[in-house]
This record gives sequence, structure tokens and C-alpha cells, in this order.
Amino acid sequence: MDLNRPALPLQNKARNRKALAATAVAAALLLSACGGGAAPQGAEKAAAADPASGANASGAVNICGVKDASGIYKGTAEAFTKANGKVTAKYTEIGATTDEARTQIVQRLEGKSTECDLFVTDVIWTSEFASQGWLLDQTKLVEANKDRLIPSTVETTKYQDKYWGSPFFTNAGLIYYQKDKVAKPESWQQLYAEAAKAPGNGYVYQGKQYEGLTVNFLEMLYSAGGEVLNDQGDVKIDSKETRDVLNFMSDGLKNGSADRAVLTYNEDPARLAYESGDFGYQRNWPHVYRLLNATPLASSFAVAPLPAWEGGKASGVLGGWNLAISAHSTNQAGAVAFIDFATTPDWQKHVAMDYSQAPVNEAAYSDAAVLQKMPFAAELLASVKGAKPRPISPVYPQISQAIYKNVYAVLSGTASTEEAVKKMADEITTAKASF
Amino acid sequence: MALKTLHPGGKTQSGRDRAERKLAFRMTAPSLVIMALVAAVPIGYAIWLSLNQYSVRTAGLSRFVGLENYINALASQEWWAAFGQTFLFAGLSVSLELILGTAMALLLNLAFKGRAVLRTVVLLPYAIITVVSAITWQTMFQPHMGLVTNVLSTLGLPGGDVVWLGEHGYAMAVIVMADVWKTTPFAALIILAGLQVISAETYEAAELDGASKWQTFVNITLPLLRPAIVLAAIFRTMDALRVFDLPFVLTRGANGTESMSMLAYTQLRENRLVGEGSALSILTFLTVMVVSVIYVRFAGGNIRDVAKEEQ
Repeated sequence: MDLNRPALPLQNKARNRKALAATAVAAALLLSACGGGAAPQGAEKAAAADPASGANASGAVNICGVKDASGIYKGTAEAFTKANGKVTAKYTEIGATTDEARTQIVQRLEGKSTECDLFVTDVIWTSEFASQGWLLDQTKLVEANKDRLIPSTVETTKYQDKYWGSPFFTNAGLIYYQKDKVAKPESWQQLYAEAAKAPGNGYVYQGKQYEGLTVNFLEMLYSAGGEVLNDQGDVKIDSKETRDVLNFMSDGLKNGSADRAVLTYNEDPARLAYESGDFGYQRNWPHVYRLLNATPLASSFAVAPLPAWEGGKASGVLGGWNLAISAHSTNQAGAVAFIDFATTPDWQKHVAMDYSQAPVNEAAYSDAAVLQKMPFAAELLASVKGAKPRPISPVYPQISQAIYKNVYAVLSGTASTEEAVKKMADEITTAKASF
Repeated sequence: MALKTLHPGGKTQSGRDRAERKLAFRMTAPSLVIMALVAAVPIGYAIWLSLNQYSVRTAGLSRFVGLENYINALASQEWWAAFGQTFLFAGLSVSLELILGTAMALLLNLAFKGRAVLRTVVLLPYAIITVVSAITWQTMFQPHMGLVTNVLSTLGLPGGDVVWLGEHGYAMAVIVMADVWKTTPFAALIILAGLQVISAETYEAAELDGASKWQTFVNITLPLLRPAIVLAAIFRTMDALRVFDLPFVLTRGANGTESMSMLAYTQLRENRLVGEGSALSILTFLTVMVVSVIYVRFAGGNIRDVAKEEQ
């Protein structure tokens, strides 16, 4: 730059500043347009997947989801590619943990990315994603496959009377018990009474302030006949059943049925505590079976489905993963073909045998080869069939927080049952009114 | 150029001056633009987000709500609980870190064999990822199985049968301990740098005057160390007020340990309440800003005084 050039007139400086400001405003407008300007598009306007399209599919299918710890996603993609011949499937890991995967999926869906054709979604995400119009309506596909899918697992993909995914594999809580110390659990009341009898009989579960506590609480609430939302979506948690279950759980901590340490346990610490041999009962997921078998407890433990509430019936809460087709997929036919393959009774046997996951096909549970690898298949099937989805709502995360924070407050003794129930109902009502 | 400067106040001179300032402005402009893009635009965008509500039910739907998100946040119990808990955490952990950090720095400043090695070793906790150290602390305080709980109950000391992370007060204590363990070395390092600036002659003079060790420490070391301690305090306080990972891993915010950042995270990430979450982030940001301004106002003056005294 020429040093001898006369100084720029003052207005020029001002003009520069104005230009800068204009650029900033333009940038802000551009950014806000991304956030708010797009035309609203909800579940009502979603396109539907055609069940017949899978037969003529070709090209590549990209399946995205959480880190493939058991190898099931990559394994299924490989087996599908081999069996199909025309479509090649690959699995892309987009998050190390469930929470991270959700964030990554939301980012892609919000940005209308075409990177992923299929998402492996946690059962509790379905209604949230569907309400945003991010998923393809799979109602026809699910109807076509209905006779090979366990009805309770299909219900996890339902939102506003349509199905937005196909169940891939499921999950349900089980009770592990030391058969030399305690009796097989028939009811929650009997389990708690038995657990309080001797110091080594105690019950461990997931009582930390997190999603797992919602699951543990709902398992009891459902078996006691309570509910969070009814079929019309009205808040029904302010009930006698909710109070009974909360009192029952908090009494259990006071009279020694459950150790106070459960207030810090999620799945893994609960398992580790149980492996010490100092407890009688443990509530956990099926994957614990294999791990317990590798400990000195291998010969003394047994598995039971979740018990019934006294005078009620056994129930539970479904976990597991669904396959949802992205509304922005460029190979919907290929995605349909992949779902067709993943839910076949034959592949569902492999789901159990090769990856120790709970199949969504009932026949798989009585298959001889499966029973050899998964001796507790009958108990697992009982748990799965009796289980129900968690509250179906696009604001599920807020509903779950309202549940686990208030249940935790009762268990840790900072709130009375009455206060907690009222607060829970209020918070769920507020969450449901979210804009 | 050199000739011209002989005539200060000359017309050409002021023109030159202005030209040079212009040039300086133009030369720094690219970095100013980059800084604006990197810092100002995201902050501005976050403020914009916090003035709107974004639908969690219908994609792409949003409405301008002005300060409603802020009003709701400031009217909520959760915010003030998190606010108080975050300040309790910051107050406890930063004071402990400064006391222990000063002690550690004094030790490391002594001349002894292996000092260089020890200085490195002492920094190790700081090098460990917070989430990893949080999990270690969680394991140590596990009821029945944890190292700390076991040692306490074996020795018959109180706390052995306490479910530390499941109890009000105790949970905060674990989080404070985890933070103190990890970041004391950082405070020590800054304070050590301050110690090394103090000249040996000052101490010699004190010794000649017959000052005791304690008198030397109180009247010479501490006052001269103040700028370094204040600097460490500013860094640590700003960090502590934004604490997220320790309570997230250890308690998920249970038992009176939810911090301001955790609250913002829950709204933004878990609930996708973008407007509400952004308002909480901005409130956290403002809180940290106000605290640092107070620090610089009051303690910053000290820095200048001390600098003057030293001259």
C-alpha cells in the first residue's frame, strides 16, 4: 500500500463501518432464515414407503447409528449385501453413545442431509422424529410384515396411528436372582419381602437420576396398572397407582429391601455390585446374562421375567432399536429391502445367536439353536410380550425428566410422595404444552 | 520521515499520522473480521436464538418472543438452584485450589534434587481428561466397593457407610474434591511462576532484619505473590462457573449438584428447546462476565498497585 497516498476522507471510514454492519445484519438474517423461515412440515405431510419397492431395489444403502458394540449392524449389512446381490448396504457409526448418536441424527435430519438412508433409532425417539416430518411413513410396510413381528415391539414405532419404523431388535428388563438364597420372584411385593429377610438378599436396580430410573419406575407402574398418558394423550400420572409404587419403592430403601447405594447406580455399577455376591436380586438387561456367566456366580444365578404387581399382572418397559427411513433418503427402495431382510424370521435367529440381542420375531425364541445360546429365551420372551412402550410423545425427553427427577426426589427423601406426584403431573402437562 | 518528526504539530505530520492509523486499521482489518466471525457472530446468533422459541413439535416453526425466555428462566426455581449450587461449587473449589496451590508452589520452589521431575509429575492430574478422572472418583466413592469408603469403614471413621454420591452435601464434596485434585497443579504452576519473579535480595534483606520465616511469608511472599494468585483465581473461577463434566458424570445433577451449564445443556440438547436453552447459555455467559469484571475491577487494581510498588 502506498504510504504517500492522502488519507481517506472520514466518510469513507463511516461507509466501511456501515458496510460491515450491513454484512453482519445480512449474515444474521441468513442464519435466522435457516432457523425460522422454512415452511412447517410435520408428520401429516410425510411420504409413505412402498412395501413392494424392495423387490426391485438396487444401488447403495447407508445405515447410520450408534457405535456398533455387538457387531450386529455391520454384520446385518454384510449378510444383507451377500443375500440380496443387487443392493449393497454399509453401516456408518455416527456417535459413541446413544445421546451422541441422537444429536448426530437430529443434525442430519434438520439439515436435510441425504448421507443416510436408514437410521437405527432408539425406541423413544420415534415420535419425536416422526412429528418433525423427518421419517418416511412405514405403515404399509409394517402391515405387510405384521405376522412376523411381536405386537408389543411394533407399538414402539407408532405415532398418531401410523408406524414410522420397523423394529430391528428389542429389549426388556429381567430379574437375575441367586437361587440358593432367594425364591423366584412372582410379585414385586414378594421380591421386596424376600430381599429384606437377610442382609445378603438385597435387591439392586438402576436408581440414579437418569433415563434408567424412568424405566425402573415405569416397569412397576405398568404392572400396578398405572399409566403416564392414556391413548388420547391425556396426563394420567396423578393416580393412586403412582403413589402406591412411589411409597413401595421408598419403603424398600428404608427397610433394607434395596440398598441406598442404588441411588448412584446405572446399569454397570448395578451389575458390578451384584457380582460381589452380596445381593439376592438384580434388575438389568439381557446382556448381563453373558457377563454374569463369566463370574463365580455362574452356577448360582437364574433368570426370571419381571414380576407382577400383587393382584395385577406382569408388565415392563420396552427398549430396543428400530429402523427408520429418512425422508431425505435417495434410495428408499433399497432401505425397504434392507428392512425386509433384517426382520425375516431367519435373520432374527442370528440376531439372538450371533449378537445376543432380543429378536422381534416370536418363533426365534423357541428355536433350538437360539435356546442353546440364550437359555433364558423363554423368560425374555415373556418379558418382551408383557412390556409396553414408554410414553409416546414428541416431547418424551421432557416427560422422562419429569418422571426421573421426581421419583429420585422421593427415593432420596427430599420430597414427599404427594409433592412429587403433583409436580410430576404439572411438569408433564407443561412439557406436553411445548410449542 | 525522520526529518518530518522534527516539526511536531506540522500539518503534514498530522496527515501522516492519520494515514498511518488508516494503514494500521487496514492491516488489522482482516484479523478483526476473522475475530468478529469467530467470536461475535456466534454470540450474536446465540442472542438471536434466545429471543425466539423454536417448535419441538413442528419442524421449521419459530416465533419471536423477545425476553420471554429470560423472564421464564429467571422466574424458575431450577435456574436459581443451579445458580447457587454453581457458586457454592466455585467458591469452595477455587479457595481450596488457591490455598493448596500456594503450598504446592512453595514446595516446588525449594531447591532439592529431582525438582524438575516432581514439577512434571505434579502436573499429571491436570493432563487427565476430566470425564476419566470423574469416573475414577465415582469408583473410589462407590458404596461397599470403593477405595475411600472401604478405607473409612476399615478405620472405623465416619463416612464409610455413606452413599456419598446419593446424599446432599456429600455429593457436592466429591465433586469439589475431584476438581481440586485435578486443577490444583494448574493454580500451583501459575503461583510458582509468580514466586520465581520475587528476587532473592528481598529475602536476604528480610533475613538481615531478623524476620522470622512466618513474617517473611506474610509480609513479603504473599503480597508479592498477589498478582499471580489473582490471575490463578480469575482463570479458575471462570472455569468453575462453567462446570459441566464433573456433575454430569458423577450425579447427573442429582442431590443439589446441577450447574448452570448442565441446565442449558439439558434444554438445548436433550429437549431441543433451542430458544430456552440459548437464554440459559447467555445467562451463564453474563454471570461469568460479571464475575470476571468484578475481579478485574477490584483485584486488577491490586495488580497495578503491586506493579507500581515493585518499580
